[in-house]
Amino acid sequence: MSPQLTLQTPLELAPSEVPTYLEQLWSTEQQGNTGSGANTFCLLIWQPTWAEQQLVRSGRLQGPITGQQTDELIAAGRQAVSDANLPHSTPPLSDDVSSAVSRFEGDHNAEDLRGQYIDPALSALMPRRLITLAPTIDAGHSLETLVAAYCPLPEEGGGTTACGDVVVLRGDDTALQDGMGILEPLLPPSMPAWVWWNGSLDESPKLMERLTRSPRRLIIDTSVGDPHHCLELLRSRVEAGQAVNDLNWLRLRSWRETLAMVFDPPERRDALSHVTQMDIDVEGHHPAQGLLLAAWIADRLSWELVGSEAIENGIAARFNRPDGTEVGFRLMSVPVGQPSVHAGQMVGLRLISQPENGQGVCVILCAESGGCMRLEAGGMASMELHEDVVPVQHASPEMDVARLLGGGHDSTTPLLAAAAPLAARLLT
Amino acid sequence: MVATITNPLRVGLRHERVIAPQCLVIFGASGDLTHRKLVPALFELFKQRRLPSEFAVLGCARRPWSDEEFRGKMAEAMAEKIKEDPSSWEQFAVKLFYEPVDLQKPEDVVRLGGRLEQVDQQCATHGNRTFYLSVSPKFYASGCRALADAGLLKDPKRSRVVIEKPFGRDYGSAQALNRVVQTCGQENQIFRIDHYLGKETVQNIMVLRFANTIFEPIWNRNYISSVQITTSETVGVEERAGYYETSGALRDMVQNHLTQMLAITAMEPPGRFDPEAIRNEKAKVLQAARLADELEPWNCCIRGQYGPGGSKESPLAGYRQEPGVDPNSTTETYVAMKLFIDNWRWQGVPFYVRTGKRLAKRLSEVVLTFREAPVHLFDAATGGPTANQLILRIQPDEGAEFRFEVKSPGSGMRSRPIDMEFSYDESFGEPSDEGYVRLLADAMLGDPTLFTRSDEVEAAWRLYTPLLELIEDSPWQLPIHPYESRTWGPAAADALLARDGLLWRRP
Repeated sequence: MSPQLTLQTPLELAPSEVPTYLEQLWSTEQQGNTGSGANTFCLLIWQPTWAEQQLVRSGRLQGPITGQQTDELIAAGRQAVSDANLPHSTPPLSDDVSSAVSRFEGDHNAEDLRGQYIDPALSALMPRRLITLAPTIDAGHSLETLVAAYCPLPEEGGGTTACGDVVVLRGDDTALQDGMGILEPLLPPSMPAWVWWNGSLDESPKLMERLTRSPRRLIIDTSVGDPHHCLELLRSRVEAGQAVNDLNWLRLRSWRETLAMVFDPPERRDALSHVTQMDIDVEGHHPAQGLLLAAWIADRLSWELVGSEAIENGIAARFNRPDGTEVGFRLMSVPVGQPSVHAGQMVGLRLISQPENGQGVCVILCAESGGCMRLEAGGMASMELHEDVVPVQHASPEMDVARLLGGGHDSTTPLLAAAAPLAARLLT
Repeated sequence: MVATITNPLRVGLRHERVIAPQCLVIFGASGDLTHRKLVPALFELFKQRRLPSEFAVLGCARRPWSDEEFRGKMAEAMAEKIKEDPSSWEQFAVKLFYEPVDLQKPEDVVRLGGRLEQVDQQCATHGNRTFYLSVSPKFYASGCRALADAGLLKDPKRSRVVIEKPFGRDYGSAQALNRVVQTCGQENQIFRIDHYLGKETVQNIMVLRFANTIFEPIWNRNYISSVQITTSETVGVEERAGYYETSGALRDMVQNHLTQMLAITAMEPPGRFDPEAIRNEKAKVLQAARLADELEPWNCCIRGQYGPGGSKESPLAGYRQEPGVDPNSTTETYVAMKLFIDNWRWQGVPFYVRTGKRLAKRLSEVVLTFREAPVHLFDAATGGPTANQLILRIQPDEGAEFRFEVKSPGSGMRSRPIDMEFSYDESFGEPSDEGYVRLLADAMLGDPTLFTRSDEVEAAWRLYTPLLELIEDSPWQLPIHPYESRTWGPAAADALLARDGLLWRRP
């Protein structure tokens, strides 16, 4: 299903008029026209989409700018990686790509519809208010404030009358800073508010700090931004007790599930107590996802981190098992020809278990998108081998966010809460 | 299933749905079901952190207990379970409350409304309520009406009623009860519970059929020659003689549990995994089902009753010698019957259904027997080639097995059958939730997928109407065949299949 546009053409208002206008929109007298306002949640989205903006400006992508990860956008990003002579393993929508494309010539304009497309996965949850902050690449773009009412389209008959509204704040960085003043009244404390930071965790730290204060529930993606900063931010927010959701962690779900499935048969469980080595391969040079997986395994198996260090193309660490035996860990970056949109996605995992008096066991999980030659090499022929292929997740970021919103949790999932601090320590 | 050490990597990976804040009101809280099944199931949900912190259980019965007495009674009955985790019980027990209520007295029900508001304030349960009628079936209609009259069912989004089996005694009484219940609330507020649908293995029939492409193309009359559905118990009537004498195996087991298994085995694939889509298909297949011989039902149904058995050292009493049973009772403790489903998928495929007490083994299974290979190229080691069978084991040894022919080792080309096994124990190694845990959670979530809808219940009763009428009007035409305790039932049941050249599977 394609994303839906808003019910009415957005109205451009002066920023100061927005809160009053929305108040009137949902007043009793107006409800006959628009249905009643849903008593659900508010979602605030930081949506820079720098790569898309630059690709459109340079004429490498047709507009309009929507903020959606379309196939055309990804293809244009991949082409730009090649044209800019960036390493092949550069993710196609990364900051490196937008910064390289910013040096390309071109001055194409396109309509900017960010915040006006509503993904069906999100609209199905009937958000009360969607606020999009849409920073522009052209400095000097003064603040534009757009407002529209919006009703989810029912799939069949018996439609819903619970509606919401969308608010878009568009402008350059300074303009958006100036527009912050109208946000507070737009996020009533009576309703849960989620903030989806759909951009690099390195950018606009002040704005981020201001937007993502607890008790707002935060959605981030630790694959976007400097890995140290990403994991540190995740750790600090988790430890501060904020409800944090990480899309990079969410994308690990098939890895967690596949690994758990390997050890579901009771006769294999003993091997978990005798792991001596854990190896992880990730795409390119962003270790956050691999470290989160390693931290989850270490936490579940009650390993204590002894120490970690940076090595060429990776990270090495040592853990102690509960019985005192040492477990070695290596995370390596591997180059890939066709990288995922998200940096540092898992390529492979190997667990080697060596019971004192039994046969060794080697478990290799490999992403269906790549090869695991490095992990398959290394003399495991004498071991009992379990290999599995982990399916690649094809969910759009909007679908992942909808999954989080649908869960409705007001705290960080305990597994992530336990893994995040350990992952951060592995990197330091 | 046998509990083993938990897989540490599995912890926290279940994607459980979130139950909204609410109060579960149990009528008949002093009865067996409450302390044997319901409160243990709730305690399990609590331990699995699947209950919201804003949650309460309000037990209601006629006995003048206090909250503390109710908690004490539950603790006493669940002592073994509590011993494993006393601190969790302490946290859980404070969520248990009690209110003396006689559902037949309107003033009691009005007082209950007041108490519920108190509980709402005390536990922040937001006025969300699930009413569980664990009372005698004769009070279902009046109980629902009393709740409706007191205004406790008026918000369909915040109130639900769970009704235990039996839902009616026959087609007419089920229709009448449905009519009453539907005047008290909307159909989506009514949750008719059948604990067989809470079993992981029954739900797995749907997954097996509709998540795999290899089964559905052969799941029809072109490939399947017959289906057997068996639920056998080794126990006798025990303390339930009073109820059982008025019910018998047909009403107690066949009309509900076995018929639900039949519906799930035979239903068409739903367009989507949606409560109404699934229940539509179940209702449709039950409406297409009929006794193999409706005009002369004695040709397709065998009734039996267990007689004495066992050994000299541990003799077993026959049904008529059980306490509380009429010494001349003609209540059946065993039923076997043959059904057909008149639709494109199943036309002409016999469905054999049997259930009984004091049979040789306790088990529940669905057996699909496939047609024989059209040409026999090989000698069979066992005399003749064995038809392929898919056996879905509902309990115990939950799992499935597929029986097919392979080459017998040796220089010749003889074939012999082997079994390919899937066992829940070996694959998952962890006990699945008890049926009530799943169903209580679903009811509180407002998810009716695993509950029977009014048209399903009525279709199930209508299916057996010719038998019930015959038993009522001329029982001698459907005689009771005695069988020795701990055997596989009366010989007449074997003859029922022998007429079609078949045998019951001996599990």
